[in-house]
Amino acid sequence: MFIQRIKSIKTYLYICLIGCIAVSCKKLDQVPQSTATGAAVFGSTSGLELYTSSFYNILPNADTIPIFRADAMSDFGARTSYPDFLRPGFFDARQSSGWNWNDLRNFNYFIQNCNNPNISLAQRQHYIGLARFFRAWFYFDKVKRFGDVPWIGKPMAINDPALFNGRDSRTLVIDSVIADLDYACKYITTNDNTRSLVTKYVAYAFKSRVCLFEGTFRKYHDEYKLQGSANALLSQAADAAQKVMTEGGFSLNTAGGLDKAYRQLFITQAPVASEDILVSVVDPALGIFSDANWYWTSATYGDRLSLTRTFVNTYLNIDGTPFTNKPGYQTMTFNQEVKGRDMRLQQTIRMGSYQRLNGGTPEAAPPVFSYTYTGYQPMKWTQDDVSLDGGKKSTNSMPLIRYAEILLNYAEAKAELGTLNDGDWNQTVGALRRRAGITGNTSSKPLTVDPYLQTNYFPAIADPSILEIRRERGIELALEGFRFYDLVRWKRGPLMDQIWNGFYVPALDVPMDLNDDGVLDVCFYKVMPANPVKGVTYVNVAETISGGTPNPQRLSHDTYGELTWLTTIPKKWDDKFYLYPIPETDRLLNPKLGQNPGW
Amino acid sequence: MKKKPRRLNKATRTIVIVFSLLLAGVGQLFAETLNGIFETRVSLAFKNETLAHAIRKIEQQSKVEFAYDPDLLGLQKLLVKEGRFTDERLDVVLKSLLQSTDISFKEEIKGTITLYKKSAKVAYGKVSGHVVDEKGEPLPGATVRLNEINKAIQTNPDGSFSIEADPGVYTLLVSFISYQTYRVPGVKIVAGETVTLGNITLVAESGSLNEVVVVGYGTQKKENLTGAVDQVTSKVLENRSLPNLTQGLQGVIPNLNLVPLDGKPIQSPSFNVRGTTSIGQGGNALVLIDGVEGDPSRINPSDVASVSVLKDASSSAIYGARAAFGVILITTKSPAKEKTSITYSFNQSFKSPTTVPQLVTNGYTFAKMFNEAWTAANNYSQTPQNINKTVKFSPEYLAELKRRDADPSLPKVEVNQNGEYVYYANTDWYKELYKNHNASREHNLAISGNSGKADFLITGRYFAQDGLFRYNSDDYSIYNLRAKGSLQVFPWLRIYNNADYSNMKYHNPLNVGEGGGIWRNLADEGHTVAPMFNPDGTLTYSAAYTVGDFVYGKNGIDFDNRVFRNTTGFNTSFFDDVFRVKGDFTFQNTDNNQDRKRVPVPYSRKPGVIEYVGTNYNDLENMNQSTQYVATNFYGEYEPKLGKDHHFKALAGFNFEQSTFQKLDLVRNGLIFPDATDINLALGQSITTAGGYDRWDVMGGFYRLNYSYKDRYLVEADGRYDGSSKFPSDQRYAFFPSVSAGWRVTNEPFWTMSKDIISDLKIRGSYGSLGNGSIKSYAFQEQFSIRQSGRVLNGVRPQITNQPGVLPDGLTWETATVENLGVDMGFLAGRLTLTADGYIRKTKDMFTVGNTLPAVFGTTVPKGNYADMQTKGWEVTIAWRDKFDVGAKPFNYGFRATLADYQSTITKYNNPDKNLSDPNKSLTDQTYYVGEKVGEIWGFVTNGYFTSAADIANSPKQNLIKASGASDLLPGDIKFKDLNGDGVIDYGNQTVNKPGDRKIIGNNTPRYTFGFGMDADWNSFFFSAFFQGVGKRDWYPGSEADYFWGQYNRPYNKVPVSQLDKIWSESNPNAYFPRYRGYSAQNGSNELAQAQTKYLQNAAYVRLKNIQLGYHLPLSLIKKIKLGDARVFVSGENLWTWSPLYKITKDIDPESINGSDRVLTDGTNGNGNNYPILKSITLGVSATF
Repeated sequence: MFIQRIKSIKTYLYICLIGCIAVSCKKLDQVPQSTATGAAVFGSTSGLELYTSSFYNILPNADTIPIFRADAMSDFGARTSYPDFLRPGFFDARQSSGWNWNDLRNFNYFIQNCNNPNISLAQRQHYIGLARFFRAWFYFDKVKRFGDVPWIGKPMAINDPALFNGRDSRTLVIDSVIADLDYACKYITTNDNTRSLVTKYVAYAFKSRVCLFEGTFRKYHDEYKLQGSANALLSQAADAAQKVMTEGGFSLNTAGGLDKAYRQLFITQAPVASEDILVSVVDPALGIFSDANWYWTSATYGDRLSLTRTFVNTYLNIDGTPFTNKPGYQTMTFNQEVKGRDMRLQQTIRMGSYQRLNGGTPEAAPPVFSYTYTGYQPMKWTQDDVSLDGGKKSTNSMPLIRYAEILLNYAEAKAELGTLNDGDWNQTVGALRRRAGITGNTSSKPLTVDPYLQTNYFPAIADPSILEIRRERGIELALEGFRFYDLVRWKRGPLMDQIWNGFYVPALDVPMDLNDDGVLDVCFYKVMPANPVKGVTYVNVAETISGGTPNPQRLSHDTYGELTWLTTIPKKWDDKFYLYPIPETDRLLNPKLGQNPGW
Repeated sequence: MKKKPRRLNKATRTIVIVFSLLLAGVGQLFAETLNGIFETRVSLAFKNETLAHAIRKIEQQSKVEFAYDPDLLGLQKLLVKEGRFTDERLDVVLKSLLQSTDISFKEEIKGTITLYKKSAKVAYGKVSGHVVDEKGEPLPGATVRLNEINKAIQTNPDGSFSIEADPGVYTLLVSFISYQTYRVPGVKIVAGETVTLGNITLVAESGSLNEVVVVGYGTQKKENLTGAVDQVTSKVLENRSLPNLTQGLQGVIPNLNLVPLDGKPIQSPSFNVRGTTSIGQGGNALVLIDGVEGDPSRINPSDVASVSVLKDASSSAIYGARAAFGVILITTKSPAKEKTSITYSFNQSFKSPTTVPQLVTNGYTFAKMFNEAWTAANNYSQTPQNINKTVKFSPEYLAELKRRDADPSLPKVEVNQNGEYVYYANTDWYKELYKNHNASREHNLAISGNSGKADFLITGRYFAQDGLFRYNSDDYSIYNLRAKGSLQVFPWLRIYNNADYSNMKYHNPLNVGEGGGIWRNLADEGHTVAPMFNPDGTLTYSAAYTVGDFVYGKNGIDFDNRVFRNTTGFNTSFFDDVFRVKGDFTFQNTDNNQDRKRVPVPYSRKPGVIEYVGTNYNDLENMNQSTQYVATNFYGEYEPKLGKDHHFKALAGFNFEQSTFQKLDLVRNGLIFPDATDINLALGQSITTAGGYDRWDVMGGFYRLNYSYKDRYLVEADGRYDGSSKFPSDQRYAFFPSVSAGWRVTNEPFWTMSKDIISDLKIRGSYGSLGNGSIKSYAFQEQFSIRQSGRVLNGVRPQITNQPGVLPDGLTWETATVENLGVDMGFLAGRLTLTADGYIRKTKDMFTVGNTLPAVFGTTVPKGNYADMQTKGWEVTIAWRDKFDVGAKPFNYGFRATLADYQSTITKYNNPDKNLSDPNKSLTDQTYYVGEKVGEIWGFVTNGYFTSAADIANSPKQNLIKASGASDLLPGDIKFKDLNGDGVIDYGNQTVNKPGDRKIIGNNTPRYTFGFGMDADWNSFFFSAFFQGVGKRDWYPGSEADYFWGQYNRPYNKVPVSQLDKIWSESNPNAYFPRYRGYSAQNGSNELAQAQTKYLQNAAYVRLKNIQLGYHLPLSLIKKIKLGDARVFVSGENLWTWSPLYKITKDIDPESINGSDRVLTDGTNGNGNNYPILKSITLGVSATF
């Protein structure tokens, strides 16, 4: 009995012991294993590569505002509705947005921490160069949108009083941006033929864009009294552009012939390496697509953006003379007016013999009035295969910077400086025009003013070169996201008030053939005819539509004339629109930010 | 034979049974007893006649029925003595007549006098046993009944009984008030022998004070509880077809809130106890299976013996940091005592959705309304060119549709001049999507044995539910296996093992065209005018985006989830059970694997031309996730014997747990053929790999002290010292104590009220504080997360990382402090019981956003312990249980009603300006302010419709809210009330003090959740019904709730039939819905997307969750095939529902208004756009050998 008792106590003790071992006092320290530490990231070039690859997320691609949508707010585009930003009573500081600073902190954090001596100085400078390039990209956007913004050069702690600083002047910010770009130009060592990475020449190209913007902005916005610094910026723009032109090894794409070379840049999957400088790449093999076709063909999905007639009129004749010199151009019908023009027109809008592929069969594709409001329906970004239209299926890569822009930047900077010569013209605007099939006046700079262009667009400009460069910029870069801020820097906001006009309709109830293929396409009516022609789209242009509301789709002379769209909505440019308002909630958090004039 | 009159009587009784079940509770009719049968008085004279004759005379005069066999008794041969009786009692007369015979009489059946032969020496047998409760204490006065002969006796004061009967096989029923009736089938009585059944343990009915309730690391009688604990037994889960356990627990315990997110068989909502837990870390109740954390959706519902919910801090404190918001203790069944048995059961269910939206299926009506909604959204100036992406549209086409609608003989498909198909169909897409009904079946087998020293229980289950989808069926199956056994090694040591394995498989089909759930895709592209197939059998474009993908049948996610877990433990007892030591060790491996396939779906727009949707995928994904979990508990109990008045118990122990999660996710595209299933056949260059790792440890020491004095004053103190790896080292450990006390008023000497009125009264109170450890691992460590870029850089999609989040400063524990006051009462000798609790839970230092910083800070402001919240609530359970006799057999019945409520208020939050939305985020992001009642809905007040252009001009300006799209206001558009009178309808500056014209219009917290159950059993029948619901809940249909909004959402959505007569027009100016416009509910700045009073829905509901009727087959029938017990049942789930929402639409299940498909989306693709909740009819059978 006693022995047994001893035994049982012993067993009991054993159990206690086993229990104690099982639960032995472990330290409760656990470290994450599926994430990296700062030492790992900043201690190797592959870590730096890993980090800097995140910078690219600031660039437009198919998911953030794609570049092919970026001209939705422009003077030359008519669309479903007038942008709220420009409508009195529809937009104020409470609706404002864009005051997001997360990307900046990401760059600054990198710049601050990329200091591991195990990595060679040159390599660190290269990666810091990338960070500074993207910081410049970030700040350029901010300055364009808000004007003065706080300059922040480091990641701030939660209690940093600088969080509550006011805004810095745009001159300080732009100087810093240029300093960043100069650093990037100097130290970035990347070589890249895929056109997807930031190289030295990307930095130069972007610098020419920034400096041209700021140079012309200061020159034309005399209210800032910064005209004195304009020329220095314009010179930097020209120099940076020239660097790309002389050293970059780029050239205008001519493959595909005069009638195709231009549009190749926007509808092919592979970047056109000769002309593209920086591209947001789409690659079906990697599961990356865009929704360009959907946006440009759907009646419901996008903005239904179409060009206005006033703008289309600026496309020159193929011989280099202004189209508007032709007598009777105002009353030309669509199928007539598009003939014999700058060959970029037929590569920008649906016209003439444009065909699409429907189930493998080519099919005539005139403008459709369930999409366009003006008749000038863009197809610059639309791939031809109809089956790509619905959903995110497009496979065209999107150029963000291309050589043509650099040529235009160079020409404009030189022209604004007054130093543009015939040679410059020949290798810039002239070259672009020759690529578009234009035969006349490409080798020497223009000497006469086109009254149409001057009257309708830039009455204050007397220099024929500047006028023609602006025409060229509008046409060459149409629908690539430049237009609104071009108007801003030229101080031509009132152009946003232009009527959204469409092609000329000679008479009601007469079906029109828009592409000369013998098939009637569209007919405008005030009273729907009893026996409509099969296959013709009928468009109501009566004063009112069901329910007695005014009809936004009209003809300029009621029963004939140019199509007009949305004249029912009052438009009035206000100079405050040159800058966005600081969002109300941010201003409440930090009243020192102040507000932009007029808001 | 003498049986004749009895049989007749039996037949009558059968009718009575049916009636009594139908009119459950109207039994009083039959309770009228003829106890005075022998008091019947007769005046008779007998002289030289046979006994047979004399009896007949008595029968005639007394009108009393006699049962006898004249031949057996030889009545014809016996002569009676001469005698004369005047107004004499019947029994006196009979006694006198039968005085010298061997015949006796009795009232065996009420109202009938049976005559029998006294001397017939029938050889009786006996059955004896002891009736005890779960704690082993004797139950005197329990009724023991042999069902077949309806012979019953009551147990003695020591709980023992002995009952005599003819030899045979019987069913023994043991019943006692407030205990569940215990059924011992197949008791074999042998002549002259005594069968000993040993201890028969009765389990107390849920809610009664006798109930033994599972608490942390032990059990306790409910009468001794001082904390807020509620428990249900396996009864609530019986005879139901449950894909998983969680779905069976909904509504049964007040304030155990289980809100199903949709009706998928894999759906298992998290367990919430007593409402909003924390707006910081969040946190759910801790779910323990047999004492160790586990996934309740993976265990066999038939294995469950009880589910206990520890609601207040005092009862859950012993589990420390993970129990801040309550604990659910699921206890599995133990081997049956002292016998070996095999039970097999099978059930078959037929299921169908509770709601299938009733949508317009006429193609022309659909297209006409689409045209109107679309045109209205575009200012009536344009006609649509497409119905969304997949069907071309023009006025010409609409006219042709109309013509063909009038003449159904015309073909539904044509080919136009471009060689494209044109459709004129009337497709009912939901009919194509869902089967008429889907079936499920379940097999359950339990083998149990017990030799006293060793016992075992092996259970197995196979449950399979066919998918609801007609094509690419979402089949579900689960296998469960449990093996449980124990061995008494020494008198003081018992070791046990409990192993559990489950394997759940589910196929979740997906739409490759656009991703997301099928419901949203159907709304977007399943156009009524388009058929499923082209004449050549290819899919149409609309079909390929929707149900056609399912017909193609290749795309989906296969879930293959396995859990294996094993617990080994021991129980010891020393010094005459004064000291006990227990320990266990558990490991659990959980594998949650998903294989996904996405291949393009072919369709045809032109005869002979095949195109594809989903070309951007064509990939396989293999995702393996495994969690290795170990847990060990080691604790001792000390319970000295202190005499009658004092009772003391102490428990102390130690717990350690570690969980390690690992993941490997691999995606590769370029399948060489669409049927490839192995990643070796994926050859593309889009390769995504992702890992994942998470490990945490918790460690704690805990104690519980109980003391009671004279069973009147009860005190308990619990506590735990807890450590967690999730906190920085200086905050790692924390101590969480709690106390509770109870006063059993009815045990006081001064309490003189009869037990028949108030049988029990106990007042309880508790106070305690617990830390919330449900914080993410590594929250205080700097991490650079690595993911794949969505961009192509240098020909690849590189991995990227970026700035780490800013670390929180001084992270510490959130704490939940609970004050609880409760009362337990019994009335009418325990027939009526009431348990009520009220509580205040203060969640403090919640881990929420810091002070809003200017956006130039450039990243998320680190969270900190900044917010406080207070939740007040209560819950009440009232139960009634009684029995009465129907046809001499007991009719047991009961009712149980529960009601619960809670509401949370924010008492501290970093939002001094009381912004209604976070300034650094979009309008829809959630923020809180001090004083906010959680769940508030801010909205406008609807002020009718605009009636004319003049009305529009003279009304407050509504520029910020559009009628829809680009349109201007017209009559029939919604007018809002200018609450602040400034002439403009707006959002003010989005703060509480300047909310513009918005105000609080409702609250989406489910209030007054209730359950109501009833059950009855009689003879061999049983019946139960359970209703469950929500008493108050507001709901504003979200911007994608297309079942609610129809084409007000997107113009190409389908049209609910219920909407047809509710649409505004000049001739119907008071219709429920405004001017017909597409996008007006979809786009955030449009009129119906603004929460507003008119369209705020009352989403309260009541639902018949389960109803069942069953029958135990008579032993005489089943004993031939050696069955001990067999029952058949029919059971219905979700058969009936009512909601005020139904006044507007029946297309949405009020229980499933939350969000969309949770497997394929984050839930934001529209309210109700999800897998329907199913209703079912189940037929089942169960047999015990």
